[in-house]
Amino acid sequence: MDMEMDIPLPEELEFLESNSHLYEDDYPDLEPPEPYPQQEEPQPPSPSPSSPTDPPLISETQTNGHKRHRSDGLHASTTENTAPSDDKRSRIDDLEPEPVPGEEDWLRYSPPPAREPSPVVKEQEEKIVSRYASQIDGDCIPVTAPSGDRVYAKICRVVREERLNKLHAKAQSGGLILEPVNVLLQRVEQEAFAKALQASSGGQNDISLPETPVVHEQLWVDKYAPSSFSELLSDEQTNREVLLWLKQWDSGVFGSEIRSTSDEVLSALKRHSSITQHQKHSDSNFLRKNRGPRWRNERFRNSNNLDHENSISKGVQDSWNKNSRLTGPPEHKILLLCGPPGLGKTTLAHVAAKHCGYHVVEVNASDDRSSSTIEAKILDVVQMNSVMADSRPKCLVIDEIDGALGEGKGAVEVIVKMVSAEKKSDMGKENVAKEEQPGKKSSKKGRKTASLSRPVICICNDLYAPVLRPLRQVAKVHVFVQPTVSRVVSRLKYICNKEGMKMSSIALTALAEYTECDIRSCLNTLQFLNKKNETLNVLEISSQVVGRKDMSKSVFDIWKEIFQRRKIKRQIKSNNSSSSVSNEFDLLHSLISNRGDYDLILDGIHENFLQLHYHDPVMQKTVKCLKSLGVSDLMHQYILRTQQMPIYVYLPPCAIAVHRLVAQVQKPNIEWPKSYQRCRTMLLEKMEAIRSWHYKIPPYISRHLSTKSFVEDLVSPLLHILSPPTLRPVALQLLSEREKNDLSQLVSTMVSYSITYKNVKSDPLSINPRHEATSDASSISFDPPINDFINFKGYSCGHFILTSAMKQVVLHEVEKQKILQVSIVRSVNSIDGCTKERRDFEEVESSRAQSAKTDQSLACVEKNIENEKNLLNIRQCNPSTSKISSNLASSESATACVKLKSSGDVKKPYSGSSSFFNRFKKLSSKGSQSIDIVVKKEATLERDLRPLLFKFNEGFTNAVKRPVRIREFLL
Amino acid sequence: MLWVDKYRPKTLDNITAHQHIAQNLKKLVTEQDCPHLLFYGPPGSGKKTLIMALLRQMFGPTAEKVKVENKTWKVDAGSRTLDIELTTLSSTNHVELNPSDAGFQDRYIVQEIIKEMAKNRPIDTKGKKGFKVLVLNEVDKLSREAQHSLRRTMEKYSAYCRLILCCNSSSKVTEAIRSRCLNVRINAPTEEEIVKVLELIGKKEGLQLPSGFAALIAEKSNRSLRRAILSFETCRVQQYPFTSKQVISSMDWEEYVAEIASDIMKEQSPKRLFQVRGKLYELLVNCIPPEIILKRLLYELLKKLDAELKHEVCHWAAYYEHRMRLGQKAIFHIEAFVAKFMSIYKSFLIATFG
Repeated sequence: MDMEMDIPLPEELEFLESNSHLYEDDYPDLEPPEPYPQQEEPQPPSPSPSSPTDPPLISETQTNGHKRHRSDGLHASTTENTAPSDDKRSRIDDLEPEPVPGEEDWLRYSPPPAREPSPVVKEQEEKIVSRYASQIDGDCIPVTAPSGDRVYAKICRVVREERLNKLHAKAQSGGLILEPVNVLLQRVEQEAFAKALQASSGGQNDISLPETPVVHEQLWVDKYAPSSFSELLSDEQTNREVLLWLKQWDSGVFGSEIRSTSDEVLSALKRHSSITQHQKHSDSNFLRKNRGPRWRNERFRNSNNLDHENSISKGVQDSWNKNSRLTGPPEHKILLLCGPPGLGKTTLAHVAAKHCGYHVVEVNASDDRSSSTIEAKILDVVQMNSVMADSRPKCLVIDEIDGALGEGKGAVEVIVKMVSAEKKSDMGKENVAKEEQPGKKSSKKGRKTASLSRPVICICNDLYAPVLRPLRQVAKVHVFVQPTVSRVVSRLKYICNKEGMKMSSIALTALAEYTECDIRSCLNTLQFLNKKNETLNVLEISSQVVGRKDMSKSVFDIWKEIFQRRKIKRQIKSNNSSSSVSNEFDLLHSLISNRGDYDLILDGIHENFLQLHYHDPVMQKTVKCLKSLGVSDLMHQYILRTQQMPIYVYLPPCAIAVHRLVAQVQKPNIEWPKSYQRCRTMLLEKMEAIRSWHYKIPPYISRHLSTKSFVEDLVSPLLHILSPPTLRPVALQLLSEREKNDLSQLVSTMVSYSITYKNVKSDPLSINPRHEATSDASSISFDPPINDFINFKGYSCGHFILTSAMKQVVLHEVEKQKILQVSIVRSVNSIDGCTKERRDFEEVESSRAQSAKTDQSLACVEKNIENEKNLLNIRQCNPSTSKISSNLASSESATACVKLKSSGDVKKPYSGSSSFFNRFKKLSSKGSQSIDIVVKKEATLERDLRPLLFKFNEGFTNAVKRPVRIREFLL
Repeated sequence: MLWVDKYRPKTLDNITAHQHIAQNLKKLVTEQDCPHLLFYGPPGSGKKTLIMALLRQMFGPTAEKVKVENKTWKVDAGSRTLDIELTTLSSTNHVELNPSDAGFQDRYIVQEIIKEMAKNRPIDTKGKKGFKVLVLNEVDKLSREAQHSLRRTMEKYSAYCRLILCCNSSSKVTEAIRSRCLNVRINAPTEEEIVKVLELIGKKEGLQLPSGFAALIAEKSNRSLRRAILSFETCRVQQYPFTSKQVISSMDWEEYVAEIASDIMKEQSPKRLFQVRGKLYELLVNCIPPEIILKRLLYELLKKLDAELKHEVCHWAAYYEHRMRLGQKAIFHIEAFVAKFMSIYKSFLIATFG
C-alpha cells in the first residue's frame, strides 16, 4: 500500500533534481526505493533462516544497547533528539498527504544504519524495533543508534539463545568490537542480498560491489581506530562534554532542533550509503522520513524559483520553525582539546563531530596555516555549504594548533578575531541575532568580519604554549587525562586476539604503563612485534619498544619529578635497588634533557628546594644542594663565555643530584622561579636610575662617584646630611645666622648633586610608613629616589626625615638657587664673551645687574640688604639666598674683577667682550679708581642716569611683605 | 657641595694623604717623561683624586674643564655591526672612560674605540705637550680578551698617547699590562692621615673639634677617606658642637648585613636559610655588589665566632667568593656560603654542647 504511495515520489524528485546539481549527492539515495519495495516482501523469509549470521547481530545490537544505556550523557543527548523528531513526525502527519499506515512503516525503519540488517529479521515478528515502547508487546529495550536516534527493540529471547551457541566465537567480542559495526553488518547483508538481487534486478548488480576485505597492510592504529562514539577510549567525562558542546550547536547549525535530528539521520544515512550501495535497499523506507521536508523543499522551490538550494532548505526550515524555540550556539565557540599525544584527541574530535552529523574538515600542521589561507578556509567551512560533495554542515578541526609557531599564529588570530567579532555583534541585538542567523548563511558576502556559525575544534598538546594564550580565553578548554590502564589493556587485548597475537595481559599492562597509555604507540609497537613474530617480553620492554616517545613535559612536571620521590615504583622494583636508582636517573635525565632550558629548571630548583621537608640536622644536604647548583652556575657561565655548547650535557646531573638529596614523598608545592628574575629587573632599574642621575651631576663631582661607591659609602651619609635634624621648621626670617648658613649649605649641596624634592602621589606602597606626610594627599620625596637605596625589606633605618613643610621650604630654595645659577652662568658667559648669540632683554638686564653688582661690591663689601634688593631685581627674595647667590656670583669673574680693580691695575679680563658690555665695564672701571665715597656717589649718579628697571619675577616669594616706597629704593 | 668634593685637593702640592706619592708623580711629570701608569688600591684611598691632580699638573687648569659625552659607537665586529654606547669625560688633552661598562662587549671598546682615540695625535703639537692621556677606570673588570687587546695598543701608540689605568686590585690585571705600566699602589690612608685631613677640614670650616673625635671617626671609617669625610659631615649636620661620645651613624646596608648575620647565628635550618635568601636578594637589588656583601657578612660573622672556627669559615668564604666571580648568579654562591657556615656552626654547637 505504501509502495504505491512511495514510488511516484522518488520519481518526481528524480525528475526535479535532474535539472539541478544540488542533490547530486543525494541522488543515489533517492534512486533505490524503486526496486526495494519489490524485493522487500519476498526477501525476509529467505535470509533469516538461511544465513546464520543475522541473529548474533541482534544480540550485538542489544549488548550495544546495554552499553549505551550505561552512559548517561549520551543517553541524555540522544533522548533530547527524540523529542523533536516526534514533533517533526507529527508535523509531517499534518502536512503530508501520505496516509497514516505509511507512518508505521517508515517508523519501523527509522533506526539508523548501524542496525540496518535487524529490520530484515524483524520482518517476521512485527514491531521488533519501534520508536514507541507501546508498539512493542513484550519486553523491550531502548537502543540508541550512533546517529543519535532512539528506538525500542523487542527482546526475543528464544531466538537469541537458540543461536547463541552457534555464534559464540563471534559474539564473544562483545561491545568492544573495533571494526565498525555497520561495516560488519553491511558485509553480512551484502552476501545475503547479492543473490536475491541478481535474480530480481540485473541492473542493480553492476553497482553492487562486494566490500573489499580488510587490508592487512593497514596500520593497526588506523585499522582499529574507533569509529563510533561508544568505542572511544578516552575519558567518559570528556567525551560527553565534547558531545554536549557539539550538540549545543544544533539549533544554530541545523536551523532547528527538528532539523537537527533529521539532518543527523540523513547524515548517518549518507555515511552509510556511501559505504555500500546495497544499503539503499534497506534504507528506502528510511528515506521516506526525510522525504517530507525535502519534498517540500522541492515544491517550495518550484513555486518560488529560488536559486540557492541551501538557503531554501534553511529558509524553509526557518519559516517552519519561526515559532519553535531557537537557542543560539554555545557560549564558547571554540573547543580546545589538549593533552599529551596518543590519547585520542583527534579521534574524539572526528568521532564526535561525525556522530553529531557534521562533515569534518581537518586542518593540521601539514597544511598551510598562514593567516590568509586559514581565514579563507574557515569562511569556507563556517559559512558555506558545499554544493557538490556533501550537504552536511561542516565542522572544522584544527589539529596541532600549537605546533607551528609563525604560521600557526595565523589560525589562532583569525579564530579569535571571529569570536570577538561575533561577541560584538551579539551585544545589544540578541533579538536580531535570531533573524540574522539564516541570513548569515545564505549571503556569505557582505560581511567584513565573518562570525563563527559552525563548531571549531582545536587540538593541541601544550595548553600553555604562548601562541594559544589569546585562544585560551575564548575557548572552552578540555584537558585530556590518560585513560586507565585497564581500559587500554582490554582494548589492546582485543586487538591482539583479533590479530591472532598471543599476549599476556601482564605484558600489555607493562607496555601501557611504559608508554604512559599512549595507545598509538602501544599499537605501533604491537604491530611491529607482530611483524617480527615476537612476543612482548615484560622484562625487556624497554629494549623492545622501538622509538620511544620523546616526552617533553612541562617545567612544572619536571620540578615535580625532581622534588617528589616515586613511591610506587620503588615498591615494585625494591628487589634490585641499584637498577631502580639507575632507572630513576635515566628517567630524570631524559626528562630534563628533553626539556632543555636548564637555566630555568635550575632556577626553579633553587627557588623551591628550601621549602621541602627533608631531614637535615647539620645542613649537610643543603650545602650539597647549593654546591651542585653552584657548579651548574659555573658551568653555565663557562658555556656562555666559551660557546662550548656540548658541555650542556653535564647540566642535568646537577639537577639529579639535588633529587637524590632532597626528594620527598609528599607532593611538593612548586612555585615559578620569579625572585631571581625580579631581582635582576629591579637591579637594572635601579642602576638605570643611578646612571641617569649621574649624568645630571656636573662632571667635576660625578667623575669621582661610581655606582659602587655611591651605594657603598655615599647614600647613608648623604641622606643624613640632606635632612639635618638641627634645622628648625620655622620661617626663614626667624633662623639664626648659623642656621641660615646651614640651610644655604644644604641647598648648595642639593643643587650640586642635582637632588630636589618632588611631589609624589600618595601611593601606599611606595611611601615609607614612618613618613610624616603619609596622611596627606601627596607627599614630597627626593627626586632621584635615593632613599630607596636603603629601603631594605624588614629594615628600619634611623634616618631623620624632615617635615613636609620644611621640605617645601627646601624645595623652594633649591628651585630658586637653580634659577640663579643658570642666570649667573649665563651672565658670566656673556661677560666672558663666550656667547656670541644675540642677547635678549633678559640677558641684558641680568648682565647689567651683574655689572651693577660689581659696582656695589666695590662700594660696600658688607652688603646692605636693601641696596641688594634694589639692584638685583631678580633676587627679590630673602636675604640669605641673596647672600648665597652673591657668593656664588662672585665665584670667578666678579671676585677676580673686584680684586683687580681695588689694586687699581686695570687689566682686561673682559677683553673679548662685545661693545655693549664694554660700556658698562668702562663705567665700572672708572668707578673703581675713585675712593669709596666717590664710588657711592657715582653709583647713585649712575643709577639716576639709568631708568629704573622693574622685573616681574614670576613665581613666589617667602619674604615678609610690607609696603615700600619707590623712593626708598632709589636712595 | 659635600665636603668630600669641596675639599678635594686639586693639585699635587695640596695632597695630604699620600704626600710622597704625589711628590714622586710631580717629579715624574716635570721631567716630561711620563710612562703608562697603573693606579691600584682600595676604594676611598684617593686614586682618582691623584689622577686628577696629576692631569692638572700635566696640562694646567684646562684639564679641569671637562665635558661629558654619551656617544654611540658603531663597531664592525666581523659579520655584524655592533652599537656600543659609551660615556666619556673629556678635556682637550685627555679622555676618561670606563670600558667595562660595555659588559661582554668590552673587547670591542678596547680594540676599536680606544685604538681610534689613541691613534689621533693631538693637533697642537707646537705646544708643550705632545701626547694625550687616556684614563681607563675599573680595568680589573675588563675581560681577559679585552686586556690582551689592550697591550698592543699600549705599545704601538705610546709615542703620543699615555694610558692611566685605575683599578682596585692589580691581581686581576694581566701580567702583560702590569709590566708595561708604572704601578702605583695607593694604599688606604692610615688613621693618622685621616685624622689630619679631618682636622684640616674642621679648621677650614671653623669647627671646634674635641680631642679624639677625629680619631673616632677615622677608626669607624674603615680607613676609607671618603667615608671618613662623609661621616664627619653627617656628624656636623646631626649635632654641633661635637661631643666626643657622639654616635657616628654607620652605613645602612652594613646594619642590614649585621641583621642577617645575627639571623644566621640564631638558627641554622633550611627555613632560616630561605629567610636569609630574601634579605640577600634585598641587598642585591639595591645595587650592592655581591663581593662586598660576602665580605661584610664574613666580617660580621667573625665578630661573634669562636676562635677555632674562624679559620675554617674564612677559608670557605674565600672559596665561595672565588666561585661567585667565576659564576653568574651571585645569590647561589652567597647562599651556599651561608649554608656552609650554618652547617659548620651547627655541628660545632652540637659538638660542644651536645
